[in-house]
Amino acid sequence: MNQATLQPVTSRPPVVIAALTLLAVLGFAGVTRLVNRFVQQQKALARHLYQQGLNEQQAGKFPLALEHFREALTYDHDNSQYQLSLARALRDSGRTDEAETHLISLWERTPQDGAVNLALGRLAAREKLLDKTMQYYHSAIYGVWTSNPDENRLNAWFELIDFLIRQNARPQAEAELITISAELPPRPDLGLRVADLFARVEDYDHALAEYRRVLDAERANLRALAGAGDAAFHLGRYRTAVHYLEEASGIDSHNDQTNQMLQVSKLVLSRDPFLRGISSVERERRLRQIFNDAGKRLDDCMNTRASISPAPQLNALPALKAEWTQMKPELAGSRQQNSLGFPYALMDLVLRIEQQTAVCGSDAEDQALMLLAENRSEVEQ
Amino acid sequence: MSLPPEAPPVRLSPANSDSAPETRKEPRFFEVSPLGEERFFLVLAVFIGVFAGLAVVCFRLAIEWTRIALLGAAPEPHTLRILIAPSAVGLLVSVLVIHFFPQVRGSGVNQTKAALYIFNGYIPFRTAVGKFLTAALAIGSGHSLGPEDPSLQIGASLAWALGWRMNFSREKVRLLAPVGAAAGLAAAFNAPISAVLFVIEEVIGRWSAGILGSVVLSAISSVVVVRWFLGSQPLFRIPPLTLARPTELIAYAVLGIVGGLAAVIFAKAVGYLRPRLRSWPRWTQYFQPALAGLIIGFIGYIGFPQIMGAGYQYMDQAMHDQFTWKILAILAGLKILATTLSFVTGTPGGMFAPTLFVGAMLGGAVGGLERHFYPHLTGTTGTYALVGMGVLFAGFLRVPMTSVFMVLEVSGDYSIILPVILANAFAYVISRSLQPTPIFDLFTRQDGLDLPSLEEQREESVLHVEDAMKPPGPVLDSESTVQDAFQQIQKAGSDIFLVRMAPSGWASVTRELLQRFVGEGKNALTLGSTLPTQRLPYLHPDYPLEMALRYVYQTPLVPVVSRADFRKLEGVVSSEDVLSKYRVPSRSPE
Repeated sequence: MNQATLQPVTSRPPVVIAALTLLAVLGFAGVTRLVNRFVQQQKALARHLYQQGLNEQQAGKFPLALEHFREALTYDHDNSQYQLSLARALRDSGRTDEAETHLISLWERTPQDGAVNLALGRLAAREKLLDKTMQYYHSAIYGVWTSNPDENRLNAWFELIDFLIRQNARPQAEAELITISAELPPRPDLGLRVADLFARVEDYDHALAEYRRVLDAERANLRALAGAGDAAFHLGRYRTAVHYLEEASGIDSHNDQTNQMLQVSKLVLSRDPFLRGISSVERERRLRQIFNDAGKRLDDCMNTRASISPAPQLNALPALKAEWTQMKPELAGSRQQNSLGFPYALMDLVLRIEQQTAVCGSDAEDQALMLLAENRSEVEQ
Repeated sequence: MSLPPEAPPVRLSPANSDSAPETRKEPRFFEVSPLGEERFFLVLAVFIGVFAGLAVVCFRLAIEWTRIALLGAAPEPHTLRILIAPSAVGLLVSVLVIHFFPQVRGSGVNQTKAALYIFNGYIPFRTAVGKFLTAALAIGSGHSLGPEDPSLQIGASLAWALGWRMNFSREKVRLLAPVGAAAGLAAAFNAPISAVLFVIEEVIGRWSAGILGSVVLSAISSVVVVRWFLGSQPLFRIPPLTLARPTELIAYAVLGIVGGLAAVIFAKAVGYLRPRLRSWPRWTQYFQPALAGLIIGFIGYIGFPQIMGAGYQYMDQAMHDQFTWKILAILAGLKILATTLSFVTGTPGGMFAPTLFVGAMLGGAVGGLERHFYPHLTGTTGTYALVGMGVLFAGFLRVPMTSVFMVLEVSGDYSIILPVILANAFAYVISRSLQPTPIFDLFTRQDGLDLPSLEEQREESVLHVEDAMKPPGPVLDSESTVQDAFQQIQKAGSDIFLVRMAPSGWASVTRELLQRFVGEGKNALTLGSTLPTQRLPYLHPDYPLEMALRYVYQTPLVPVVSRADFRKLEGVVSSEDVLSKYRVPSRSPE
């Protein structure tokens, strides 16, 4: 072949460019097949390693699981599930910095992802960063979930509230609880959960309301009855407390806490000298009984103080005894009894006696006395 | 370095036809018209990039498949395959290198440079095939080498295969090698800017605007191809760096110093062992890669499989705090040992990835140690590891500009630039002072070649016109009369004078000519009217002295004028002034 014969075809650059383009297209086709095969193989390897990691995680072999999650991610870089599992495993093994890097990388890709936000929230919670935790948890609550969105959102919400309570951020926790209670589906288990959390933040009004809502749906729900009784008890609404606690005790008579609370509530109601509707004779009788019980308690504690470890409160007992002795004749005189200030002065002394003798132990009667002395007119009428 | 077989003939351009008498004319596949050559070369650069990109994708797949097949999907220490694979493959590779592909030893950077400067850009296609096979086997089996330099050589070889039959001028044919090299390296690194800079800094060895277009085009097209197939994520991801206070830069300066010293140790070890092992009897060369493989396998077996192969995933893990600073320091030391062994035994593979690995581990270790004592430092391990990569790149490979851009490109993070520049500067200065010859230049000299080096050029003192110019004598004005001018020069010692012409330009007149004008009775005429209209060429003080050589033989006195005012004379140069400057003895080449 000589140059002259080649000239007509090949002297034009377009011919060469066309030939090179054709070659490049063929090359692309071939490499595409290779790469597809490669990617499939890598993904299969990644799946295998991920599964191994999950198995090891379940078996409690966390370092090995971590390694396999990491390897899985090496073979399938963009797999969010693997990266999330790796981040969780890292977080659980205390490598929070690395976990955060992975999670931030995931978050940058899908900032609305509920699971990623939840993981970031947990990480922030672990580091006790209140604002960051709330931010990520809220993003998780209102984010996108690929499966069981309602369940996951509620769980995230409950987790956040639990975190806030543990951090003593009660106002924030209460705010979250009020919001969640308004959005809860009508399910007794969720109602109970919210009511319990209200009780934990000592918002007994809302707790009682939530327990009642549960009881509207399930009248014999033991946990709701006991919870409602407890909330009413803490609110000083002993008659209501007795109502719920009796029902709870009727279902489960072996619950000591319920029984004791019931006993105390009944005692409070039976000994309250300020109860509306009782006669002056009865009020006098109740005051006298409270006063005598307090005196007896004071004597018992003074007699047994030698056997208990020394406590500063015990030093005040003789003075209290003197005060009690001084008040006793006043109790006998009807004039003083009828004066407005005397019952309160008496209850003051009872309260101080109960407080100072607490180191000698207390029973239901003592608790009732204490509550009566503390609350006085606040006891449910 | 093994020399390639005789290069195929290349068409001579008129400018260089006298310098290549051995070249013969043969029938061509393609004749390019001289006018279209420049543009067609640019088009070809794009195709070179595409094919280099495809080749590099295949190369990476081959390495990965080999690695999985030989070492397993998740290499674990205390397994027999880790111990055996590098050694067995080392034996196979040495047979292939000695008997079939003698040009594929080592990294490939120097071979490409030699192709450009000695073999008219010629790198046989067989080299690409051999490099592909042997490097994939070596790296895949765990030899401590990287895929970047082989990709560079594969790209250069492919470029030759595509371009040599196009009947380009010799100048263009020579450029095929760097164009292909840039494409191969850019594809391997997924970093076009670094590849272009590296090829300019290390392969071409000089700044040349003429080649920049085609190199950039080929680099970009190869990166596009690689990203098409393998994605466009940056190689490493770290959180953005926020420097709380400027004093934190001291921590990075310390890293630069440590990195510079490590780079010197690394370079000295490689530079010392390479010629010695090559001088051993030929039969030992069959076993050298195998022995290196055995030692590397043993390191992996006892608990450090991270140092095997290119190790990119471990660099990523180091950046994400997976290792303590002590482990990172051990890994950096072991990697220097493993890479030195792999490289000096002639196992085909590159130095880039190991350099990055050592840098990342060392950076992480130094950062970890510094944060141990100064917990307020805001940089993460990832930040220090990335800066460490740049440091080793600057200190070991001695490519300061590439090192900065490389870090930016592989991380996609601009916030890190200040620490990188600072640390790299320290590493570069330390390395240059303790190891005067850059590593690739050292290899070149060990191979008995003398190729240009950008670092040497940088260090050369360039002479300028201002170095040779003399103060001007009396300057005549073209508006003055011949009589006045003649009187003006009476007391002057020289025989030739510059004349400032109106409205601009310069001319010269000799004492003899002025005497003749006076003798001819032209006293009352202005000097300007008596002189020829042709103006003298002029120079500026900052011009290179070579430029003066073009003019000093046309006229005995060349005016050196200010750039701000062409009528203001700064000095004059004559041929004698220029030559006297060149006669000053200069530093002899090393």
